[in-house]
Amino acid sequence: MATIAPVSNAVSVRPGLLEGLRRSLAIATKRNRRFWFSLSLLTLLIAFSLFGPYVFDKTDPKRLIGGLYDSPSAEAWLGTDNFGRDVFTQLMFGTRTSLTIGVIAGLIAILIGVVIGTTAGYHGGRIEESLMAFTNIVITIPSIVILILLSIALTTRSVVTMGLIIGVTSWPWTARAVRAQTSSLRTREHVDIARISGAGAASLILREILPYMLSYIVMAFVLQLSSGILQEAALAMLGLGPSNAISLGIMLHWALLWESVRTGAWWAFIPPTVLLTLIAFSLLLLQSSADEIFNPRLRRK
Amino acid sequence: MILKNVHAHYETDHGPVVRAVDDVSLSVADGEVLGIVGESGCGKSTLASVISLTARPPLHVTAGEMVLDGEKITLTDQARIPQDWHGRKVSLLPQRAMNSLNPTARVSDFVVDVMRAHDPTILPKEAIEQALERLEQLSLPSRVLESYPHQLSGGMRQRVVAIVSTLLNPSTLIADEPTSALDVSSQKELVLLLQALLERGFIKRIIYITHDLPMLSNIADRIAVMYAGEIVEIDTTKSMIDSPRHPYAQTLIGSTLDPDPRVREHRIKGIKGAPPDLRKPPSGCRFHPRCPYIMDICSQESPPLVGTETNFCACWWVQKQTDATTFAKVQA
Amino acid sequence: MSKFQRYLVNKLLWFILAFCIALVLNFLLPRLIPGNPVDTIVAQMSAGGGVSGPALEKLYNSYIAEFGLDQPLWKQFLIYLGNLSRGDLGTSFAQSPARVQRLVSEALPWTIALMLPAILVGWIVGNTLGALAGYKGGWLDRIVFPTSLFVSSIPYYCLAIILLYLFAVEFDIAPTGGGYGYDKSPSLTIPFIIDVLRHYWLPFLAQATIFIGGQAVGMRAMSIYELDADYVRFARGLGVSDNRITAYIFRNAMLPQVTGLALSIGGLVSGGLISEIVFSYPGIGTLLFKAIRTSDYPVIQGITLVVMVGVLTANFIVDIAYGFIDPRIRAKASGES
Repeated sequence: MATIAPVSNAVSVRPGLLEGLRRSLAIATKRNRRFWFSLSLLTLLIAFSLFGPYVFDKTDPKRLIGGLYDSPSAEAWLGTDNFGRDVFTQLMFGTRTSLTIGVIAGLIAILIGVVIGTTAGYHGGRIEESLMAFTNIVITIPSIVILILLSIALTTRSVVTMGLIIGVTSWPWTARAVRAQTSSLRTREHVDIARISGAGAASLILREILPYMLSYIVMAFVLQLSSGILQEAALAMLGLGPSNAISLGIMLHWALLWESVRTGAWWAFIPPTVLLTLIAFSLLLLQSSADEIFNPRLRRK
Repeated sequence: MILKNVHAHYETDHGPVVRAVDDVSLSVADGEVLGIVGESGCGKSTLASVISLTARPPLHVTAGEMVLDGEKITLTDQARIPQDWHGRKVSLLPQRAMNSLNPTARVSDFVVDVMRAHDPTILPKEAIEQALERLEQLSLPSRVLESYPHQLSGGMRQRVVAIVSTLLNPSTLIADEPTSALDVSSQKELVLLLQALLERGFIKRIIYITHDLPMLSNIADRIAVMYAGEIVEIDTTKSMIDSPRHPYAQTLIGSTLDPDPRVREHRIKGIKGAPPDLRKPPSGCRFHPRCPYIMDICSQESPPLVGTETNFCACWWVQKQTDATTFAKVQA
Repeated sequence: MSKFQRYLVNKLLWFILAFCIALVLNFLLPRLIPGNPVDTIVAQMSAGGGVSGPALEKLYNSYIAEFGLDQPLWKQFLIYLGNLSRGDLGTSFAQSPARVQRLVSEALPWTIALMLPAILVGWIVGNTLGALAGYKGGWLDRIVFPTSLFVSSIPYYCLAIILLYLFAVEFDIAPTGGGYGYDKSPSLTIPFIIDVLRHYWLPFLAQATIFIGGQAVGMRAMSIYELDADYVRFARGLGVSDNRITAYIFRNAMLPQVTGLALSIGGLVSGGLISEIVFSYPGIGTLLFKAIRTSDYPVIQGITLVVMVGVLTANFIVDIAYGFIDPRIRAKASGES
């Protein structure tokens, strides 16, 4: 499980929001090679999972093309798995599933986290205390345990439900970070002005607070995405992956169960391992370099 | 103490450097308190970093010398400044004293570290005894030594910082807006403490940097007015308050000190415009875009220094006035 | 009540509250299953053809009775609490009539012996590296930072798989799995202990390495942040030695890292459980893996409960330790005004 670093005090984007975001990105990223590297790597991975099957004309991950752990060959570039299915094809579809679940989980986590975080940070007082108490409790109870309990309760698990339950258990980090940002933004002049002119809480949060931490939320999403993908892989390795699809974690599950490591069938476990690592690495690098761009204090002088 | 031709700039990520201090020269006599005043962004805190030898990147000192008690150092190379100058020759009483003490160390631990940095043979016990003695002499409670910073009130914390920064009897103390975060009574106590330090001879002189003119007029012997990285006028406190000569000094002092609104109205029309962008300061006199007495020459050539080293003014208009007076005198 | 006592009481209340919520979740979530788990398991057994007829019915009835599944929910909860208070986690479905608490307590020492040292070593080494990289900068930072960032981004189980393949299969210098050799039986003899250590170092390395990376990245950021602090500038201005200033920075940057440790224990433990599967290490991760394969609900629930309680307790201990090392909490506020 990747430990999610609390998002640090990023500088908020100035008004004229998208333009401002675009411009600061354009200036700052010129010198940040890590940012471009991670972004390209990620794009490559996404393209591989989305277009790969058509480019390589390998569109059926379930087709049996050989026996147990056939070595890589001209037909099966990365050999076959324990059922005799093509590892390379599975890899493309597995990456797609993992990314999809990650995106669903990330979006849900961000949605819940932002709602709870802004509500707590904006209102303060009792509301803030109770919401944050709730958040802290959810943080301390290990989410994998909740996920296991939920997964065994669900007899069939689709890609969407997997994304859903992972999102529902992983929002607290975002909620905390967003709350901290909101309470510091709350006292800004432009928020006061809007408040005096009679804007309601919801519209204040939407118009005067959220736009100022857009960069922040984007970074939080990247973290949630990465943790969602890893949570799915962990569950799948335990045997609790989506029942209607192939994912990188499920590939590892079968590889471990069918002794691929001990029999030296490296093609069954190294490729999904490498892909998971690349996804996690590119996302973490993207987040940390974006953090440096938005938060100049981390930049070395 | 003499400071000669100090230049310092900030490096920025993109584009030109910010020339925050430009050719500043000063002298401070023994027992004197020199005040430096100016709007925020005029370079006074930068000057404080440079004089207190605490300039760190992105701030770079590009020229300047300091002569102190007969010894001379070049300010440009941090590494070549002798270690014992830090805290012993010059010492900084910083802005935001609230955060200037390590939050997880007792004051006494810090005292020991400071003393031992200059005399490794001193025992912790002796260091603390010396600090206790100092506290007693200045009638501060001895228990502050055993406290953590969070256990002290803001005013007390600032006084403790002042004590620690003068523990090594530095010959010059640079106070950089030390009272900005304090309430009025704590401000007064700090000023009294600084005066006591000076009277008892623990320190020889103070350079007091602030934007708070009323406060400065109570403690300073002379006042220097800074504008856009330069000193535009230096004079004794009394003449500065009563009859500032530089147009900027007039505006600044008029807007902050004069109790009578009619006089204020008469003297200034507020300072129009904003301080200049120090990445590309205006040509000639840096104040000319905002000056009510602007003449042709002001935007073309740097103004001359009128007066002596300890009491001068840099302004074309003032020079013209002086010339006229002199001319009138000669005529008479 | 002093600030410190208030802190302790507050943390204790939190612990108790989280504990209760954990109990309720552990009870409630598996009961969200439509029908009841016994139906499922019995259906699977009869499909497998192992058990049939009256034997099956007898089994079914005994399970229903044990969990009180024919009772209303609140009664089931009381039965559950009653069983727990006696330390009874129920009977395993798959290894009937083995008691769950016996299976868990056999596996738990292996897991603790693996995780605790790995977390401690990882924390200490990681923070030292991170502080050095942050403070010294230069070549050290250029090596430590990207390496740590990369290592910390590797999922635990991925590193475990790669290490296992490299060391056990390619180089053949470590066993391919297990906590001890198949030919040995557990005993307190020197050869057995050596054998255990031979199986130990690789899982340990996998667990510690990633944690080192994560801690180093965090500590580096904290140190760079502290370097800018006003107290550092003041101490420098007074000529305090670099060594002493580094000590201040380390101490102050470390405090948030302790809090961070409390919050990351959950992730560490779950990562560790999955790594156990890779190494077939005889801890509760592997037990969980088997239980899930055989739909052994009592064992799964027993393990989730133990993990929750373990993580909450570890959290609580770290929080208390934090109270002791942060003077802002420990030192009583003096009456100074």
